[in-house]
Amino acid sequence: MTSILEILTSDYGVHLAILVSLYLILAQSLNLTFGLGQLFNLAHVASYAVGAYATALLSTDYGATFGVCVASSITLSALFALLLGVISLRLSTDYFAIGTLAFSSVISALLINWKSVTHGVLGVPGIPRPELFGIDFYQNGNFLALIGAVAILTQAVFYLLYHSPFGRSLRALAEFERAAASLGKNTRRTRNIAFCVSSAFAGLAGSFFAYYLNYIDPSSFGLGEMVFILTIVIVGSPGSFWGVIGGTAFLVLLPEPLRFLDISSAYLGPMRQLLHAFILFAVVWWKRDKLFPQRRTV
Amino acid sequence: MLELSEIFVSFQGTHVLNGISCSVSPGETVGVIGPNGSGKTTLFNCISGFAPRDKGTITLRGERIDILEPHLRARLGLGRVFQNFGIFREMTLLENIQVAIESRRDQSAGIFPWSKRTREIAEQALGFLREVGLERKANDKAGSLSGGQMRLLEIVRTLALGAELFLLDEPTAGVSPRMKEDIARSIKNLQALGKTVLIIEHDITFIQKFCDRIVVLEEGRVVLDGTPERVRNDARLQEIYFGKDERPGIS
Repeated sequence: MTSILEILTSDYGVHLAILVSLYLILAQSLNLTFGLGQLFNLAHVASYAVGAYATALLSTDYGATFGVCVASSITLSALFALLLGVISLRLSTDYFAIGTLAFSSVISALLINWKSVTHGVLGVPGIPRPELFGIDFYQNGNFLALIGAVAILTQAVFYLLYHSPFGRSLRALAEFERAAASLGKNTRRTRNIAFCVSSAFAGLAGSFFAYYLNYIDPSSFGLGEMVFILTIVIVGSPGSFWGVIGGTAFLVLLPEPLRFLDISSAYLGPMRQLLHAFILFAVVWWKRDKLFPQRRTV
Repeated sequence: MLELSEIFVSFQGTHVLNGISCSVSPGETVGVIGPNGSGKTTLFNCISGFAPRDKGTITLRGERIDILEPHLRARLGLGRVFQNFGIFREMTLLENIQVAIESRRDQSAGIFPWSKRTREIAEQALGFLREVGLERKANDKAGSLSGGQMRLLEIVRTLALGAELFLLDEPTAGVSPRMKEDIARSIKNLQALGKTVLIIEHDITFIQKFCDRIVVLEEGRVVLDGTPERVRNDARLQEIYFGKDERPGIS
């Protein structure tokens, strides 16, 4: 018991809590589009990257304040979704997934090759922690308080969204688009808004990710990361608010005991990925009928 | 109420509707019948905005709607009940009705789940469910209902939307005889409320109970249009359904 308490209050425990908070924002925002809206959005990690790079570049190259960086990350990610939505949301389900994946690859390529802006594969080092009310956010405990509060606020926003008229419209059009339209729902606009809101919160998570690590590079925003966020939502049950919270805690913390095994670090990373892949496969197989319901039409 | 003028619809070169013209007066109930493939559902899809027309105009209460998107047509008072159940099965009965009420132009929606307005809308929704005897299942998923109950829910949901013109696409398909009576009662209730109703139905005996007129389609054209009595006794109806030489009674 004492050892668990020690872990929870140690730097390691705080680090894990920060990770859980970060992924709560990322997964719950993906849940809005993938879960509630049934949009196979594979560009969520690109929105995350846009947010992270906005904060990283504005704070290091321009010395922008915390408020400006966070607001810019949210806005740019939302604008990215708006642009992506105009093109991708016209595509039907499978093509939409391919379209968003393609956009994600474009962002990845830009991060690597647009060196004059993104610093290429070398990434952006020296991102300062936020300065707010004289609190030292280089102390991880303080940073946890900040990101924890933001994560809780984010969950509250999504809870309200899920139970709002907007959430009901999104669920309705995901299930039977024509029936939703025949009830006066502007299905295209509803999807676009969901896509922008989801992306904006991914941008927010990206901003905090950059602040927390003080360094970002393109490798943090690859397909592997996208699959991990998707796994959280799938394990938590797409569309379920509480399920995604449970899924986040479960999947972020699950591989941690591996660290305490006497295994070389060269094997630890692949083992973690294998574990995630196995869980994803098992859950997809187990819930295959619910995860991919047949689209209804007239 | 509804005016269709020279409506042509084709899919990949196949002509499905070939110049349909027809008008429906306010408060009138019109049955649409015809053999399979005659274009009945396509006509409803065209009126609702789901099947693009090649030519022709559609006006609802004097306003052209053929240039509008489906959701805008719905907001102008066009309600649709789908052949293959248009309810949201994963949502509760109450939510199904709430979605409709929240679309109404004359109703503001509550933002917070605990707000007074949200509670009022839920109360209103419960009232609509009470009308069709489904209030006890308000918090059940709509997918758990029987076929007939789903139809009732869909009809009452369209009523909750505030629709003035109802397009009912085979409302008794896949429904038990007892539920058929409940659906008939629902349709009569729409008539009592002064709503205009268009019904696609194969069972002439069923629709002639409440239809003022019956329109018969064949190969995308209106071939008969008259009172149920006149249509039923018209030799062409027998020909359309059974061929020229056969004369059995029509159920």
